[in-house]
Amino acid sequence: MGVLDYFKPVLSMTAEEVREFVKDRSPEDFNLIDVRQPKEYERGHLAGAVLIPVGELHNHLREIAPAKPTIAY
Amino acid sequence: MRSRAAVAILAGAGFEKVFNMQGGIRAWEGLVAEGPPESGMAYFGDVVRTPDLAMLAWMLEDGSRLFYERMDESLGDDDAKQLFQSLAKAEVSHEKTVAELYRIFSGGRAVEDDLPSDRGDIMEGGIRVDEALRWAWGKGVEAILEFAISLETNAYDLYLKMERRLEGDAKKIFLLLAEEEKKHLERLAGLIEKKV
Repeated sequence: MGVLDYFKPVLSMTAEEVREFVKDRSPEDFNLIDVRQPKEYERGHLAGAVLIPVGELHNHLREIAPAKPTIAY
Repeated sequence: MRSRAAVAILAGAGFEKVFNMQGGIRAWEGLVAEGPPESGMAYFGDVVRTPDLAMLAWMLEDGSRLFYERMDESLGDDDAKQLFQSLAKAEVSHEKTVAELYRIFSGGRAVEDDLPSDRGDIMEGGIRVDEALRWAWGKGVEAILEFAISLETNAYDLYLKMERRLEGDAKKIFLLLAEEEKKHLERLAGLIEKKV
């Protein structure tokens, strides 16, 4: 990934949009990724979220299905 | 900001539809699941055999059933009573499902015969039933519904974690259970909405 990728527009969802999105779908149909640190995850996370701290994300890309819509927080 | 960076990494890696949740967890304002990534699995250490997961699920469902049954006896609110009775029934059917899963993967054994002797009654969310009942004593219906939602949220989260570790039919069963817990959540949330 190049440094310029950070400046590409990023698609966002509000928390309310995420709530609706999750409600209407089977958990198999999307990826929900918590990119914070394990301690933050322990204190509270969205139900069903997979923990992959952002610093480790590049090592775990193969564990996430690229064709499914993906929400990160 | 971290999630923006994550989204950039994922988009760079060929992910097609990637979204960043604005405001992160602080914007969520809903119930969150607690515990480490493998929460609830501590009971079995690192073992991830299907019968062990089925047994853990059975114990959690059994504890939740007990909680709903006993709460139903002490609740004054008719709507909540009705919902708790129906949730207790749902937990019984979940127990049957995971008992069957256990039977298949353990060569015909009954899960009740194999339970650890020191288990105590734990329920969804890994909380002890007696502690939960003590906590709930004298609390208003809203607080109790709120608590039930946190249980179901944790159960939903746990089943999805189990589902990811398994293959084949066992995987399908845990996904189904997760989806049912999600429906329980919606019913509990709907009732809170009505009560406030």
